Amino acid sequence: MNIDEIFDHTSFTIDREAHIVLDYAVCTGCDNRGCVNSCPAKCYTWSGEEQKMTFVHDGCLECGTCYVVCHRNAFTRWRYPRGGFGVAYRMT
Amino acid sequence: MSKTYQAIVVGAGPAGSSAALIMARAGLDVALVERGTFPGEKNMFGGVLHRLPALEEIFPDFWDRAALGRHIIKKSVTFMTGDSSFSTVIESGNFDKTPYNGYSIFRPRFDNWLAQEAVKAGATLITRATVDDLVYKDGKLAGVSIVGRTGELLAPVVIAADGVLSFIAKKAGLRQPTFNPAQMAVGVKALIDMPREMIDDRFGLVREQGFANEFVGCTAGVRGGGFLYTNYDSLSVGLVFHLASLRVSGKTPYDLLNAFMEQPQLAKMISGGRLQEYSAHLIPEGGYEMIPELVGDGILVAGDAAALCNATGLNLEGINLASQSGVLAGKAVIEAHQNRNFSKQGLSVYKKLMEESYVIKDLKLYRKAPHMLHNDRIYNEYPELMCSFMEYIYRIDGAPKENLSKLFLKSAKEKVGLGNLLADGFSAWRAL
Repeated sequence: MNIDEIFDHTSFTIDREAHIVLDYAVCTGCDNRGCVNSCPAKCYTWSGEEQKMTFVHDGCLECGTCYVVCHRNAFTRWRYPRGGFGVAYRMT
Repeated sequence: MSKTYQAIVVGAGPAGSSAALIMARAGLDVALVERGTFPGEKNMFGGVLHRLPALEEIFPDFWDRAALGRHIIKKSVTFMTGDSSFSTVIESGNFDKTPYNGYSIFRPRFDNWLAQEAVKAGATLITRATVDDLVYKDGKLAGVSIVGRTGELLAPVVIAADGVLSFIAKKAGLRQPTFNPAQMAVGVKALIDMPREMIDDRFGLVREQGFANEFVGCTAGVRGGGFLYTNYDSLSVGLVFHLASLRVSGKTPYDLLNAFMEQPQLAKMISGGRLQEYSAHLIPEGGYEMIPELVGDGILVAGDAAALCNATGLNLEGINLASQSGVLAGKAVIEAHQNRNFSKQGLSVYKKLMEESYVIKDLKLYRKAPHMLHNDRIYNEYPELMCSFMEYIYRIDGAPKENLSKLFLKSAKEKVGLGNLLADGFSAWRAL
C-alpha cells in the first residue's frame, strides 16, 4: 500500500478559516516538536534549514493529538472547525 | 435569536444520544447539539460494540433495531514480530447465540441511528453546530453559544458529551486545564474494502459471524497495539499508540501503520483489499485516575468527555460506558427537573448512580491497568520471547532438544531478565 495515498481517501469540507492557529515563534523555540511525528494527518512540518514550522489545517483529522503532545501550548487557537466543516468520515 | 430548552446535550455520540433519548422519553424538551453534518460523521473507533445494558433496559428490542455489523464469534490475540506471529484464538458457540457479546459497527451509521432514535422520542437534533462556550446569566449556567452563529441555546442544565477533549468540561472547570500525554492514546485506522465471500473464506466465518484480532508487538517498540476487525464487506485495520511513547519515538502513526500492513502475516490477511478510508481519534486511557469532576452547577459530564474508557490490554471498552453514563446523566436531569434544583448538589445523584454502576466499579477494579501497560517490554521483548520460544518448540531439524522449561527460562533471561519477568507477572496479576 502506498502510504502517501492514504490521506487522499478521507473526505473533507475545508473551511477557509483555520480552526487551529499556532504562534510559530513558540515552535521555533521548542526542544521537542512531538507534533511533527505524532500528528496522524501529517499537518506539521518542521524545516531544520529554515528553522520554521509549517502547519496546514486542510487535512486535519480533528483528533487532538497535537493539542495533547504540545507541552509549550503553542496554540493561539485550538477549537473544532465550525459546524459542517472539517473531516467527514463515511464508514469507519 | 435564542431558543430555550429544558436540557442541552453537547455531542450526539453514544453518551449524548443516550442521554437525549432517555430525557426525551421522559417528556423533557431536549436539544441535542452536534458539530458534524450528521451524528457520527466525526467519530471513529477501532473496536467492538459490547452490550449496552442501560439502553437495553429502556429499549427491549434495541439489538433488533440498531445499525450493526457482524457479531463477533471469534477473538484472537496475536504476539507479533517483524516476520513471525503467535496467536491465541477463542471461538465459542456461546458467542454465536443471542444476545451476542459484541458487534463490529460503523460509527457514522450507528451513532446516526442512535441520535435518530432520540429524535423519534422527541429530542431536537441540531447538526452543524460547534459549541463555542457556556453562557452564564445572573451567575448561573444558562446555556451554550455556537461558533459562527448569533443567538444562544438556553437551558438550566447542560450535559457535556462533547468527546475526549471536552472543552465544555474545561470551561466549566471540571477537568484539568491540560492533558497528560501519558494518559492519552491515539488510534489510526485504515478501512479496507474486501468482498464479503473473501472475508468469510479467509477468516472462517459464515452467516453474520465476525472476527476480532488484537495484536501486540507490531508497533516498533512504541507502547501500543494493533487490531483487525471484520465488517460485512470490509476490514478495519489499525494501530493505537500511547501518546507519551509515540511523541518521544520520533516515529509517525502512518509509517507504523504501513509497516504493520506490510508485516508478512498481516499482509496476507488484507491482500486483495482496497484502501477506502483513513481515520484517527484520541482515546482517554488514563482509567479511574483520569476521570474529571462529573458534576458541577448546571452541568454533568458523560462518555469520553469524562474519560470513561476501560483499557486493560485485553478488552477496550468505551461506547458501553459512554451510553451507560449518558443514561444515568439523563436520569439525574429528569430528577433535577422534578425537584427544580440544578445546582451541583441537585445533580449529584448522577455521581451516586455512576458509582453504583459497572462503569465506575470496573474502572476502579482496573485502576492499576494503565500503569501496568506503561511497560515497554510488553510491546517488544515479550512478543519476541513468545514467538521465538514457540518457533523452537515446533522446529524439528535433527538438533538435540533442550528441556523446554529450562529453555524458556534461558530465553526469558536473555530477552527480558528474570527479575523483570517476575515483576511484570506480579504487576499484571495485581492489575487484572
